[in-house]
Amino acid sequence: MTRLRRMSLPLVGFAMFLLIWEVTGQSLGNALLAPPSSVAHTYVDLLLEGAMLAELFTSLRQMMIGFLLACFIGMPIGVAMGRSRVSDAMFRPWVSMFVVTSTAALIPVLILLLGTGLALRSSVVFLAAVWYIILTTYNGAKGISPSLIATARSFSASRGQIFWKIILPAIYPYLITGARIGLVHAIRAMVMAEMFVIVGYGGLINRTGLDVDTSALLSLLLTLMIVSLLANWTLFQAGRLLAPWYEQRGS
Amino acid sequence: MRLFSTSIFRSEHMENARIETIKITQRSSRVADFLSGNKVLGLFSVLIGLTAWEMTASQFHKMVLPPPSDVLARFFDTDFLSTLMPSLANSLIAFAVGFGLALLVAIPLGIVLGRSQLLYRMFDPLISAIYAIPPVAFVPFLIIWFGLFFEGRVALIFMMCVFDILVVIVAGARDVSSKLVDVGRSFGASRSQILRLVVFPAISPFLIASLRVGSARAINGMITAELFFAAVNLGMVMKRSAQAFDTASAMAVVVTICIVGLLAQTAIHRLEDHVLRWQPRRST
Repeated sequence: MTRLRRMSLPLVGFAMFLLIWEVTGQSLGNALLAPPSSVAHTYVDLLLEGAMLAELFTSLRQMMIGFLLACFIGMPIGVAMGRSRVSDAMFRPWVSMFVVTSTAALIPVLILLLGTGLALRSSVVFLAAVWYIILTTYNGAKGISPSLIATARSFSASRGQIFWKIILPAIYPYLITGARIGLVHAIRAMVMAEMFVIVGYGGLINRTGLDVDTSALLSLLLTLMIVSLLANWTLFQAGRLLAPWYEQRGS
Repeated sequence: MRLFSTSIFRSEHMENARIETIKITQRSSRVADFLSGNKVLGLFSVLIGLTAWEMTASQFHKMVLPPPSDVLARFFDTDFLSTLMPSLANSLIAFAVGFGLALLVAIPLGIVLGRSQLLYRMFDPLISAIYAIPPVAFVPFLIIWFGLFFEGRVALIFMMCVFDILVVIVAGARDVSSKLVDVGRSFGASRSQILRLVVFPAISPFLIASLRVGSARAINGMITAELFFAAVNLGMVMKRSAQAFDTASAMAVVVTICIVGLLAQTAIHRLEDHVLRWQPRRST
């Protein structure tokens, strides 16, 4: 396959998708499925109006609280689990329990505990992201080649030196991947929590859903898609920039 | 389990598809390892956690933070059980329909996309793009299309797990060794024979992985749907308990969902042991 063809095929895929959507949208009408042409129109309006982006940035800023907490708490726990059998056994049941429990189910309980404010949203985001961050870091720390550590030990490296010079560089790509996975879940959780208590961007989606015209709703979904792709891409690039000697893995 | 949710720009990984897929299979046994660790210490840790919770709870009012013993007592309360069990059964029906439909769509589609280089290149970025949208955000849209009740819930469950399944199956279908397919072809196997005798056995670890990932997502979708559409079944039990400030009951529902999730994972693990006996465990 030539390079040109390789590059153009995804565009063909997108074009086909848009075409089918346009035709279906035209025949069903805006109330059921707004065609891309009218979504594009509404999208520009929403961008110029500014409320959409304002809500989005507020929501994202608040989401970062839960996400960063999840990173700060999840990453050390993951490393501890990967490097020590005792902490592995201690944390394991909690992680496997929470990772299968859906975040949505926790929301009503958390509302009773924390109310419907910022504390609720932060903890929902935290609870959605932290387990995946732990799991990814755990896999990274667990997979460090024992011979590296044995070598360091035979050169009489201290525990601190082993941690800073071997363990940390080795799990570096996993930390980035963990953050990426966690961020995807954080965005999902943010939207879910906000839709539940109808505030912020999620609340906007909920309210827009009541409109007769679906083009605004689809525009909001489009923005979410762009944010999610951008966030992922940014972290991916950050990882490449900070640790270019690693292909990112452990995803 | 979340292996796949990240690779949003998966085109970056295209060259690494092979490495990536090996990781998937390793991963599946890693998760299995993960579930069966040192049981005694684990139990000890859970007991410590519960004791800490019990002690903290004694400082608060029951409505705010009920002790775990109260939550446990709910499971022996016949009144509560008589509403919980039928609700759970109804919830599981929606789960089965949504998950089943997703499997029916995603498995054939995934095989086709994974086996055809052309289709893969055409549609992989599109799938990644749609996948990037949080599925809950589709709820208002699904309400317009499918209404507030059973159909809507099934649609959300479908939306939440179909892409996760699809991505795993595509990775699996791309992983099938071309040597095997070539050997089959040179012995004059027909297309359907190659599919049945070569491709299908080769992707069976991925089928299991897709069940694991998909079922977790579908259970998630099940309870999400019951809370976001018209509240019914488990979602209804939960909302009612919350409105009555009966936190212990709401927590009992969460525990039920957690148990359902763990049971599903265990069942799939058993199935894996049974179906994939011929496969050497790579990472243990």
